[in-house]
Amino acid sequence: MGTVGTSGERLPDEALLAGLGAGDAELAVAFVRRFQRVVFGVARAVISDPTTAEDVAQHAFEQAWRHASLYDSRRGSVRTWLTTITHNLAIDVVRARSALPMDPDDLPVLLSAMTDNPERVAVANDSAKGLRQALGRLPAPQARAVAMSGIYGMTAQQVADTEGIPLGTAKTRIRDGMQKLRSAYLPEEAGDE
Amino acid sequence: MSEPNDMTCAELADVAAELALGVLTGRERALAVAHLEGCDACREDVRQLMATSEQLLELLPPAEPPAGFETRVLERLGLPAPALAEPPAPASEDTYPRLISRREASQWRPGSAGSGTRPGADQPAAPPARPGGTRRPGRIRRALAAAAVGLALIAAGLGGWRIGAGPSPAASSAAGPLTSARLLSATHQGVGNIFLYSGAERWLYMSVDLGAGDGTVTCQVVSTDGRVTTIGKFRLTGGYGGWGTPDPGNIGTLRGARLLSANGTVLASASFAHW
Repeated sequence: MGTVGTSGERLPDEALLAGLGAGDAELAVAFVRRFQRVVFGVARAVISDPTTAEDVAQHAFEQAWRHASLYDSRRGSVRTWLTTITHNLAIDVVRARSALPMDPDDLPVLLSAMTDNPERVAVANDSAKGLRQALGRLPAPQARAVAMSGIYGMTAQQVADTEGIPLGTAKTRIRDGMQKLRSAYLPEEAGDE
Repeated sequence: MSEPNDMTCAELADVAAELALGVLTGRERALAVAHLEGCDACREDVRQLMATSEQLLELLPPAEPPAGFETRVLERLGLPAPALAEPPAPASEDTYPRLISRREASQWRPGSAGSGTRPGADQPAAPPARPGGTRRPGRIRRALAAAAVGLALIAAGLGGWRIGAGPSPAASSAAGPLTSARLLSATHQGVGNIFLYSGAERWLYMSVDLGAGDGTVTCQVVSTDGRVTTIGKFRLTGGYGGWGTPDPGNIGTLRGARLLSANGTVLASASFAHW
């Protein structure tokens, strides 16, 4: 019979989260180490200033610690939960400061990173792979609109202003782009419509 | 059923993506939300788009946080940081999931988390700060207090988790693979936590802090029919240790677990909530 040492190594994400919420120092360390690059990656994608991004990332772990008991595994993975927490915090910071987050000129680089090198991002399931491919297949204007709204938290009006297009066009790009991504990510549901 | 200012399903479909992405504002948002309250089909549509948007975030590339990030997070939570430097990140490959080594985990910086007011220290779930001073007892008190508060929270907010801090049938009814329980000493003092995971993989993990004493302890599990099985041994240093095993035996029917000293004395025991 093997043992797994004194830490949370090889423990499932849910166990590490439970340990974090319970104030178990070892499991908390394991949790932070497992997710810190993911969390900081989300914050850094939204916020250009590294110091502010780190503060958001730290806040995200604090929120996870404080609300660990609210995590519901039926609604998604720990990673998804933590990613969403981080993103919400990052968007809140950007909006509170009334500033655009990342420069939209950086979008091609970001979109390239989101659609390339799947092994580096460690999204293992097939549906995520399908989403990645679908994002890569989107017409560039739709992909930009989806990323501006979905990653940067920009409204359709802000997308329109940034891209120099009518509001209706921006809304259509967001709608059509998301529908295509949804069809790739949830093909069975999309087929019911 | 519709008022003149109500949004139709077709109109909702036009803004469903913006709503799911959280970027719909003002009157449009108010009308959309009002429509969803009475339309299951559109609500499902938005739910799917929200799930898609959440998955989209997971495509974001990971990024290496600044040096010292891990320590700063733990300090923010009032938890002791590892004494050793954080492990360097590989230059070319993703580090997810990052794992902690036994050696790193067993070396904590004494008294590293007891100073001042950190964000969250005044919150109900925050581990209480302690005055600096003694090496282990302070840490033990802090850890146990944190564990007690944390487990109370877990038990209160079960959600989809089968977690409970006591023998409450209600606490064990929620679906989910994870169960936790407190390890109690013979005098009913909390001396640690034990986690059981019975998902696709099976795990048992425990952290113990008896306050003092070096030596090897034996972990036994007790099944619902009263059978006792020894599943492993591990060492406590200064009363403290953590241990886990991927094979805790008949995990689905466990009633509890207990720790024995080398001479067979029961040092601590735990009862799982589903019993």
